Amino acid sequence: MASDSDGEEQAGRRGAGRGLPEEDIAREDSEDMPTRRLIRQQYRELISTVQQNHELMLSTNNDKLTEALEDANNLFKGVSCAREAALDAQFLVLASNLGKEKANRLHSDMIVFDPSAFAEDLLSLMGLNRLERQESDSEEEQAASGFLPNNAWHKLGEEAKTYFRRAPVFHFMLGTFTPDPPAERPRIERQRKKNTSDGNRVMPAQLEKMEGSHQEATEKEVERILGFLNAYYMEDPDTPISFLEFVTDPNSFARTVENMFHVSFLIRDGLARIKLDHNKLPVIEPLNSRGGENDEDTQAQKQAVISMSYQEWQNIVKTFEISQHMIPPAPQPLT
Amino acid sequence: MSHPRHSKGSGSSQAQYMDVDEELTLSQTQTLSQAQRNLEHHSPRQVEQKVNEVVQFLLIKDQKKIPIKRIDIVKNIIKDYKVFPEILKRANQTLQQVFGLELVEIDPKNHTYILISKFPPLEGDTMNDDENTPKMGLLIVILSLIFMKGNQVKESAVWEMLRRLHIDCSGGKHKVFGDVKKLVTEEFVRQKYLEYTRLPHTDPPEFQFKWGPRAFKETSKKQILQFVAKIQNQSPKSWMGQYNEAEAEASAAGKP
Repeated sequence: MASDSDGEEQAGRRGAGRGLPEEDIAREDSEDMPTRRLIRQQYRELISTVQQNHELMLSTNNDKLTEALEDANNLFKGVSCAREAALDAQFLVLASNLGKEKANRLHSDMIVFDPSAFAEDLLSLMGLNRLERQESDSEEEQAASGFLPNNAWHKLGEEAKTYFRRAPVFHFMLGTFTPDPPAERPRIERQRKKNTSDGNRVMPAQLEKMEGSHQEATEKEVERILGFLNAYYMEDPDTPISFLEFVTDPNSFARTVENMFHVSFLIRDGLARIKLDHNKLPVIEPLNSRGGENDEDTQAQKQAVISMSYQEWQNIVKTFEISQHMIPPAPQPLT
Repeated sequence: MSHPRHSKGSGSSQAQYMDVDEELTLSQTQTLSQAQRNLEHHSPRQVEQKVNEVVQFLLIKDQKKIPIKRIDIVKNIIKDYKVFPEILKRANQTLQQVFGLELVEIDPKNHTYILISKFPPLEGDTMNDDENTPKMGLLIVILSLIFMKGNQVKESAVWEMLRRLHIDCSGGKHKVFGDVKKLVTEEFVRQKYLEYTRLPHTDPPEFQFKWGPRAFKETSKKQILQFVAKIQNQSPKSWMGQYNEAEAEASAAGKP
């Protein structure tokens, strides 16, 4: 391309200077004939070389045409007469024609990149089914028409890969392994921290409540049992109440033990007392009205442990033929 | 197979750490650089372990093809800036000798690195067949378009090209690529295959695509031109401008 424009430029310049030697036409008869002959010979040689190497001159890979023009320019320095100048003009015509031809050939060589043609060729490579495409061709150029096989992009990818020096991806033989767990780790830690702090805040409140309610429940239960004891005593103050019959619930060993536990508070607080009757069996009676302070002293001096196993409870139920509890179960279970 | 490499590797580490004086006179033509002096604070085994850890780190990090930051290598593995250049140099040696890969810095300002293969891919290499294969097809189409259209194209030209290839970029899910727009403007961009920039003074904003630094490292204008020429069944010289440009780039890069 560059050589072309050079050539044209040179041609223009030389064209402008062509008139010069014709002005000195009068000096033709001088003694520099050998020089002029040499110049003419050189011109003829140059012209024939250029004509013979027609293809070489046209090639876009070299600057032969420019070089030839430069040679002619050098020769022209020695030109003083019309005959040589005519040869120069002859060469100039030749060079111009070559230049024009070269320019034309360049254009015919050069393809402007056409994305749509490229796309068509890509689709062919990808295995587009043209027949199906033609069917829907009626709705102008619908890009989504035609049938591309499922592996179309895979196919193109295979081809594409050979143009990349892409490092193969590292694979684990024993299955996949996501290389970035750190994203999740901090989240888990934060959650854990929250949990523990929440627990600390809530736990004391809950515990207090539970203890409080438990204590209250025990007190209530103790009072309730004292109520029953007093009621039974009032019904028949002369008949002692059997301790075992009083506490035993024939339907529940657990409630029996619970009753014994609650009765022990009554004894400790001096609200009731247990003594043995003539059969050496324990009887219980409330203490609130009579006795008073004296009894507190005596009571403080004595301690006793009563144990009861499941078997003993069964025996008691059988022996005393207890069919009904004297202390009805608390209406609500604890808590 | 690995034996000669191993002896070579351990030989060089011995040269620098075990018998510094003796080996220096024997084989070390290079002077004891600052980096090597820094390394003397660590035992050869420590150094070797660090090098191996860096190699592993790079290989795993490369799975996503997002450039690896120097700061991540330092923070996670080396923990000492002073020995970084030397450790990285050795990791690169290992990558080259054992894995046939090469560590390249693609952003000298922010110090990010990628791994590329030292060797051209083999024909019909089925081992290397994964879910990324179709993406490479999509990528080469876009890279081709960019190069053939003067190294930058408007976003709309890319979408138009993909539309011709039966890919709808207006938000629908493609059966192979999913969200194509996201793949092209985010994934390829993050991987540095593409650059996606807003054209200045455009309202509403218009965007253009250029090749990203990874594209220049993994492929070349010459390669892409060859691809286009093969697809279009033409000689690469058919496109003189692109051909000259590709040749100029190739000779500048020193590869034939």
